[in-house]
Amino acid sequence: MKRLAACALLFAAIGLALYAAVYYASERLVQRTAHANPFHKIEARGDADWVILGASHAMALDFGDSNDRMQRATGLAIVNLAATGTGPLYNRFVLEEYLRRHRARNVLYVADAFTFYSKAWNEDRFADAKLIRRTPFEPAIAARMWRYAREEGVDPRAVLDYVSGFSKVNNRERLQRDAWEAEAQFGRTYRPSASVAAKRIAYLYPDGTPAAALDRYLGELDDLVAVAKGAGARVVVIKLPLPDLFRGKLPDEAAFDARLAATLARRGVAFHDFSASLSDPRFFFDSDHLNRAGMEAFFARELKGLLEGA
Amino acid sequence: MLFTSLDFFVFLAAALALFGLLPPRHRWLGLLAASAVFYGYTHPSNLLYLGGVTLAVLACERVLRAVERPVARRGVLACGLAAVLGSLAFFKFGGLVMERVASPAGYSFYAFSAASFLIEAYRNKVPEPRGAGQVALYLAWFPKILAGPIERATTFLPRLALPRADPAAVVLGLQLATWGLFKKVVIADNLAPFVDKAFGIVPYASAVDLLVSVYFFAFQIYCDFSGYTDIAIGVSLLFGLPLMENFRRPYLAQSTSEFWGERWHISLSHWFRDYLYFPLGGSRAGAVRTYLNLMVVFVVSGLWHAGLGYGAVGWTFLAWGALNGLYGWAGLATRPLWRRLGEKLPRVRASAALAVVRAVITFHLIAIAWVFFRAKTLGDALTVLRRLADKAAELPGLVARYPFTTDHYAAMALIVFLVAVEIVDERRSIFERLKAAPVALRWAAGYAVIFALLLLGRWQAREFIYMQF
Repeated sequence: MKRLAACALLFAAIGLALYAAVYYASERLVQRTAHANPFHKIEARGDADWVILGASHAMALDFGDSNDRMQRATGLAIVNLAATGTGPLYNRFVLEEYLRRHRARNVLYVADAFTFYSKAWNEDRFADAKLIRRTPFEPAIAARMWRYAREEGVDPRAVLDYVSGFSKVNNRERLQRDAWEAEAQFGRTYRPSASVAAKRIAYLYPDGTPAAALDRYLGELDDLVAVAKGAGARVVVIKLPLPDLFRGKLPDEAAFDARLAATLARRGVAFHDFSASLSDPRFFFDSDHLNRAGMEAFFARELKGLLEGA
Repeated sequence: MLFTSLDFFVFLAAALALFGLLPPRHRWLGLLAASAVFYGYTHPSNLLYLGGVTLAVLACERVLRAVERPVARRGVLACGLAAVLGSLAFFKFGGLVMERVASPAGYSFYAFSAASFLIEAYRNKVPEPRGAGQVALYLAWFPKILAGPIERATTFLPRLALPRADPAAVVLGLQLATWGLFKKVVIADNLAPFVDKAFGIVPYASAVDLLVSVYFFAFQIYCDFSGYTDIAIGVSLLFGLPLMENFRRPYLAQSTSEFWGERWHISLSHWFRDYLYFPLGGSRAGAVRTYLNLMVVFVVSGLWHAGLGYGAVGWTFLAWGALNGLYGWAGLATRPLWRRLGEKLPRVRASAALAVVRAVITFHLIAIAWVFFRAKTLGDALTVLRRLADKAAELPGLVARYPFTTDHYAAMALIVFLVAVEIVDERRSIFERLKAAPVALRWAAGYAVIFALLLLGRWQAREFIYMQF
């Protein structure tokens, strides 16, 4: 049995050495392919006049050359750190890392009601292999993730995954650029469909609209605002335009708006609801995401003034 | 708890540590505790069902030991079987008459073990009483509880006396478990997306998509199920408890009767043979009864799968069972023909070419039957087969023009690799070959499989197909 143990140790040691080599190669690949990951952008970009946070709706502001055009039009440095399906908890995590390395004058938080109603869009997002496999390794991120595991209910396995690099080693799309597949449809125009909108809403609200979750994640947004203000950044919260068909099906949206506005008012944070400002389906590439035309129209009508007014 | 989850690896390390710390005489206690943790991990209520079956079995066994009158013994056995198999039928088909109660994971498998235990106890073949705990462990043993193999108490219980893992068994166990993981995570789960897509909305799938899916599903279900079994047998060996072989390179079978009788889900086949086919008279009650008995076995097997079909009743599984029964009938009917061929042309009968042809034909017959197993409805299954039959003449051209992706080629390469390994294994066990190989080659093979798992495996907790039954 002793001989077996010695052999097993040697086998494991060689295996670990091989794993380290594969891990190193995977990390190098992440550096080359992870352009859309918020942590990659943090590493690549510097200080900003505006940091944009939010879920996939906010990502549309960075599709194609949208961000570059906004920067050229306003003369401001804008960094979009939004990520698919992420709520205030994950966005606070991202913002903390950004502010650890850079300075931001303003933070634009794009609020989506669904992200305030489920841990699927908050704690659980940390464990999503798709996000972890594109996040460059950084000891400070690992340490913060561990703190979130202890204090915020994030699954410790997410920390283990991030530190061990398993999702990066196991990434089947390791050679592909990490663009969200929806970006390819940015130029498309949406044909309204009630059943598609209903399915999408059922997906976005897996737990319904529980009051306890809303309390918790409004608290997280409050903490995010505190983090930003603590670093000297002004915070503006907006809701992006949505097609009428989709907006009309959102559950308890009026109640959410009221609670959000009250929370932000307590902190003295400006809140702009643009959800009804651009309701024509031709401005969307799917049931709820702005397309190129929508993005340009929204920027010209609302966003440009807001950004420049800072 | 899934064998492919991180939780399982942590659990296994803890269970092995506990096993090593306990004195051999009391190790079964640690194994029982570990099994309870494993089975109750996600749904603690599962333990109530397991406990209920265990108590029913123990009570019947005690009475059987005490009672000698044949009529009374038969009555006790009937009560025990009614409780165990009746509850199984309730979970399978109760939903037809009342609100459906979800079946606890693996219920079928320990219900089959429990029924086997009761019948063997009735036949006075169960070893001397070893206490309720060991009988409970026989039913609850975590490597096999979710999807078998359906071990017999007559062989399993004696091994519990002093479970001890010798180095050779540990090495073999690790190799088997790793190979099982490879089959599940690398092969089965990489084939699954193609199959899911084509069978998801059958009318939207092209003929080539359907063709590819039919082939891929044959290998998906094999690698999924036999992968599970390899992991179960390998893990059990780490604790010094060998389990029975459940798969023996099934797609190399030269007839469907060989496939079902000797190579696929052997423990269930033997269960049906010993507790259903033989009691019905088997092949010794005349030709008509032989045909009837054969069909009964396959239809009952289909019925067992059918309870949890994709729809309210899984008619597709019944069709699958009946079709395999028809294959069995064809096999029986042509058996004298084969015998005569063997007598007249012994060289042809023994030729490798004929063996290959027979294996290929058998594989295709089984693959056709799998279409019923996989399709959501009978209509879908018939649509798949009709579309393939209608396009049969055009298929070579369609395949040549089909835009196969890198993922398709990777999946095909994995299948070719699997078949090559199985052909080599058929002649002499691959593990025996490895044992005799130089250490560098052995270790290189080990690293190759482990890194294939890390680099190519799909680890996003996809359930094993047979756990649903």
